[in-house]
Amino acid sequence: MTATAARSHIHRDNLLTRSLSFLSSQEVILFFVLVGLIVLVGTSNPRYVAERNFINILNGNAYIAVAAIGMSMVIISRNIDISVGSLIGVLGTLSGSLAINGYPIWMSWVVPVLAGALVGAVIGFLVAYLRIPSIVVTLGLLSILKGGLITITGGAWITDLPKDYFLAQIKTPPVSLLGLNLPEIPSPIVFMIVLTILAALWMRYSMTGRAIYAVGGNAEAARLSGISEKRIIMTVFIINGLTVGIAAVLWATQLSIIQSTVPAGLELQVITSAVVGGVSILGGIGTTVGAMLAAILLSAINSALVFIDVSPYWFRAVVGVLILFTVLVDLLRRQRSRASARG
Amino acid sequence: MNRKLLVALLLGVVMVLSFSLALPVAAQDRWDGADDLPVNPLDCPMAEGEAMPEATEEAPMDMPAYDGGQPTNAPDLAGQPIVLVDVPKLVGIGYFAATTLGQAQAAEELGNVTVTTDAPTEANIDDQIAVIDNYITQGVNGILFAANDPVAIAPVLTRALESGIHVVGYDANSEPGAREWFVNQAEFNGIGKAMVDSMVAEIGADGSFAIVTSTFTTPNQARWIAEMQAYQEKCYPELTWLETVEAQEDNVLSFNQATTLINKYGEELDGIFGMTSVATPAAAEAVVQAGLCAVDAANAAAGSPEAAVAVVGLATPNAMKPYVTGDNAGCVKSVVLWNPVDLGYAAVYVMRAVVDGTLKPGDATVEAGRLGTLSVVNGSEVLLGPPFIYTKDNIDGFDF
Repeated sequence: MTATAARSHIHRDNLLTRSLSFLSSQEVILFFVLVGLIVLVGTSNPRYVAERNFINILNGNAYIAVAAIGMSMVIISRNIDISVGSLIGVLGTLSGSLAINGYPIWMSWVVPVLAGALVGAVIGFLVAYLRIPSIVVTLGLLSILKGGLITITGGAWITDLPKDYFLAQIKTPPVSLLGLNLPEIPSPIVFMIVLTILAALWMRYSMTGRAIYAVGGNAEAARLSGISEKRIIMTVFIINGLTVGIAAVLWATQLSIIQSTVPAGLELQVITSAVVGGVSILGGIGTTVGAMLAAILLSAINSALVFIDVSPYWFRAVVGVLILFTVLVDLLRRQRSRASARG
Repeated sequence: MNRKLLVALLLGVVMVLSFSLALPVAAQDRWDGADDLPVNPLDCPMAEGEAMPEATEEAPMDMPAYDGGQPTNAPDLAGQPIVLVDVPKLVGIGYFAATTLGQAQAAEELGNVTVTTDAPTEANIDDQIAVIDNYITQGVNGILFAANDPVAIAPVLTRALESGIHVVGYDANSEPGAREWFVNQAEFNGIGKAMVDSMVAEIGADGSFAIVTSTFTTPNQARWIAEMQAYQEKCYPELTWLETVEAQEDNVLSFNQATTLINKYGEELDGIFGMTSVATPAAAEAVVQAGLCAVDAANAAAGSPEAAVAVVGLATPNAMKPYVTGDNAGCVKSVVLWNPVDLGYAAVYVMRAVVDGTLKPGDATVEAGRLGTLSVVNGSEVLLGPPFIYTKDNIDGFDF
């Protein structure tokens, strides 16, 4: 065998392995599962794939997908934030309160995002510099926020919001492309897609982005290679605060009423999106694209269960199966890559 | 290995999905979200000109015996001025401001009643007990209450009875033995009838509707749905129930579920019932955002094949004003609840009747001023009457 042939054999082998590993990446699997689900339910009831319902599916969990961007980074850095649901409730209420108390609309959109970043900085400081485990910090924060919100608002809803307040109800202008009328896209979908792609690119190509994987994958090695773990964890929690703030504004501006309470189980939906999206709970692996696809899948499943007349109790069961399955797959993948590293 | 994994994963998901798809969509005799307790549908509305058939005046079901408590050595103050204290769950919210207003109206009409409202600013049972305790020590002739906890409040109310103070509850009951009477704002069958009648008024007796509830097992909602079904079967057999969906008590989920119903059924769907104060405004919002308000549909009648979707439900007036008289006026025509002003008003009349001796254990009715004669139900409860329907004509007069 000549050297050239050997090289091309190796080359071909690489290509095969790479395309296989691309095909088995969580993002691609999720994409096909999503397509499969849509085809399956769409054939049983064509209204499921009608434009209106399709946009509702994308729109329904868009704010969760936005929150899942920060959550993915947090989990990849081998931390967790279980206070996001409460924080969304609090920041959403803050947003609405600003709007009904006569502050300019842009402030009611921007201030919650900045406040989210501030809270993220505090969590990051406690985790990175005082070395308190993130689950403890955010568990404490969760109680503070939940209790504080009910005490302050007394559970009263915010109504009579100004007309221009509803950011999440804004749609893209109708566009005609090649004689086709493209649907008007609600702003949460735009936020979800743009932010997810920006975050994915940043995590893949920037020094800091790569460092998040390094810190979560092997903190000791990251330290030895000169990465400041503390700075990275601070950064991750601040970004998480930002995305939670954006998610909160989208959450608050989609309906004419803000409930002023912490939505039950919201943090679990955000964490579920990240985990089902292929973000490893052991840190170091995952992308925001996967998390977004998972959030859309959860929304599609929820809608599908109504369309095919299945009790919504199944939703929880299906989600549970998805979580167990992805974690299992994650563990298998790790075992395999460890084995191939050894071999 | 890679491929195996991929295949395994896909298989797993397909299995889960096909499993759920294969579940039988059994023909049901009970609507989802209804309980299976006995139902007692009220009479159907009378068609115009139809005489009230005497025969349908059913003998009242065996009236349960009086199960309330009695004060010990209460002074006889019949016809004399009395001082009452009203201890609602909390003060500072519109709902109990409305009950307080009703009490003031009753006190003014009667002329010989003084009533003051005093309660914690949070719905906290410990604070509420402390307030009641205080007034027992100070000495009043009667206590009106809306309990934060039916069991925890019982001992302090019993103490009031033992001190010769009359005790009447409203809005939220205590254990029966700890008070003399309870003014019940609405019975399940009354709500069931009002909901279905309001819906039929909008979508006709042969329309199709879906229900958005909290969960299938939430007790109050399950009772209401069961009574709605019983009343529909009795009075509007042509009315079609399509589906019940769960939405917890979550604003966003309620909106999404209602939107999914609209997308699923298209023009087949004529109306949505909201079973909670969260689900009803969210369903209205879904109809607004889908452009299917009655007003939209009238405007776009020529272009759109889809008719309007009506929303009828239990909700508080403030949450529904945007859809009844506000920005989206006309989208919702009927909001079913009770009138808290009347509730407070009735509570004072009941207290007066108890003190005067005109409402005694075993009585079947009590006079309550402008509300007329109220009937006694469940042993020691006074029923406020049929639910109150908030419409564009009256909703702006309420603030809670």
